[in-house]
Amino acid sequence: MKDRVALLASGALLLYVIAMTCLVPLGPGLIALEPVADAPLQRFEVVGLGTHFAGQTTQSRVFVGQPGAVWEWRVLEARSNSRLLVESVWPEKLRSKSLDLFVYHPTDGTLLLENALHVEHVPVDAMTTFPALSQPIPPGDALGLHFPFQPQIFESIRNLLWHVPMWFTMFLLAGIGFVASIRQLGSNRLLAADGQAEAASRVALFFGVLGLITGSIWARFTWGTWWVDDPQLNGALVTVLVYGGYGVLRSSLEEAMLRARLAAVYNLFAFVILVILLLILPRFSESLHPGKGGNPGFNAYDLDSTLRLVFYPAVVGWGMLGWVLYRLGYRMDGATRWMEAQDAPQDLGIASTPFSVNK
Amino acid sequence: MNGAHRTGFYVLLLHTFRTELRKAHGWVGLGLFALSSVYAAYRSVGPRPEADTWNALVWLVLMFSAFNALARPLADDVREVRQYQLHLLRPQDWIVARTLYHGILLTALACCVWIAFAVFMGTTHFEGMRFFWMLLGMVVTAWSLAGAITLLSALAARAGAGFGLTAVLGIPLVVPILLLSSRFGQAVISGLGTAEKGESLLFLGTFGVGAAAMGFVLFPYLWRE
Repeated sequence: MKDRVALLASGALLLYVIAMTCLVPLGPGLIALEPVADAPLQRFEVVGLGTHFAGQTTQSRVFVGQPGAVWEWRVLEARSNSRLLVESVWPEKLRSKSLDLFVYHPTDGTLLLENALHVEHVPVDAMTTFPALSQPIPPGDALGLHFPFQPQIFESIRNLLWHVPMWFTMFLLAGIGFVASIRQLGSNRLLAADGQAEAASRVALFFGVLGLITGSIWARFTWGTWWVDDPQLNGALVTVLVYGGYGVLRSSLEEAMLRARLAAVYNLFAFVILVILLLILPRFSESLHPGKGGNPGFNAYDLDSTLRLVFYPAVVGWGMLGWVLYRLGYRMDGATRWMEAQDAPQDLGIASTPFSVNK
Repeated sequence: MNGAHRTGFYVLLLHTFRTELRKAHGWVGLGLFALSSVYAAYRSVGPRPEADTWNALVWLVLMFSAFNALARPLADDVREVRQYQLHLLRPQDWIVARTLYHGILLTALACCVWIAFAVFMGTTHFEGMRFFWMLLGMVVTAWSLAGAITLLSALAARAGAGFGLTAVLGIPLVVPILLLSSRFGQAVISGLGTAEKGESLLFLGTFGVGAAAMGFVLFPYLWRE
């Protein structure tokens, strides 16, 4: 009964996650400030993603600036929703060679692209003063529900709702297996804990593989390759291999009590390896992966309110799905063993199994 | 524990060495495997390989030689001797003695591999102090491997599955060790400072010590009947 409720709840949560993943649009953002070929220093094109420049051309305003110095460029025309042609205005001197870009649009609000342009043709003087803007950059209207725009990540930010909770679920199930293995070594009479450890480790392996696949896809669209040589990724792969070894070890042993003991020993070992390789070592080494190199995980993801709205249900939903799979696997193993015991009543090691088949 | 009859791990360690040295085919076989691996590598990449090739090959050869040594059951690993040792030894003594034995064996093997590499492939990338840094790295790697794999090889032996199972269970653990070692090798080749080299060695050592500590805690559960 409890399992059925958990299954329904996780199904509802994951349906919500799938719907939000597919339906919520990505917020607008800026990608580049490109010089126009026939007038390189006078005309530029602002390139956006998910922007609405074509709608209300006259209301778009473009500013460039550096800390303490912001001035406006003239908008000529909107070539499409994502391309805006602007005419540049240059001061006598600049404070530094790097320019930030701000674009205001009534629908999209004020967007920022840091270090949009590297300027060579204007002399630099760090002490230059600039007059204040006659009108401040206006704040935008509130956007509807949208995922945050992140450079490089773009639309693939939706994968956050899949990849990260899958690894959380993997940790959860590995933890359940770890506790079950400790109980198995502590009692050494009952095989129930061994069955739990087996089922949990199997589902942990499944979610680890899913985490690797989703991570690899994400790497393809943000870093450009399916796999990079990185401490976090190596640790993840090794962890999955170690948990794969658990199944091999089990299948190489016939006698139930010995198998329970050896598998429990290996499972404890595997969990410690997981903690070392995935949670400790990557924090001490440089990594492309967000949340590593000394940082805790969440700051780097820039979870905003929309992502939180889906991310936390996703964590709970995937976790509950993992739990349900683990419970189902455990009970199915018990049922299989019970049925085998009916065929072979003389085998006491199996017939005395404590699994409850129909709960 | 019947303290009067208990023997320490050093007795078992000495005993292991004595019985293993008596059977020449065991350790001579390991040495020959290592040497022929080096020679095969030498024949396939030529006498003066690039620094990166050198670095990759030396760790690979060390890894495979070490695996050969770790997965091989010893003369004592038979049921009768184990029954006898059950009464005579504490399991902690057994795992400590076996880890030390593997560590010493692999250190000797690492030195052999290193010397064979120096002879066949030259030491142009390892002038002066780098030669000794690299040797130190290989010794630390050897101990790290011994610490990490000894429990798994005991586990595979207990399961009665032998070499194949040790490889399946042990190879994943070797991957991080190999990565750390080759990073150390690159640091030595490119002449980085002591801090960078020391960091890799520290990670290697920590990994080995951590895994060996797990073995120390968990082995008693393998030991009992």
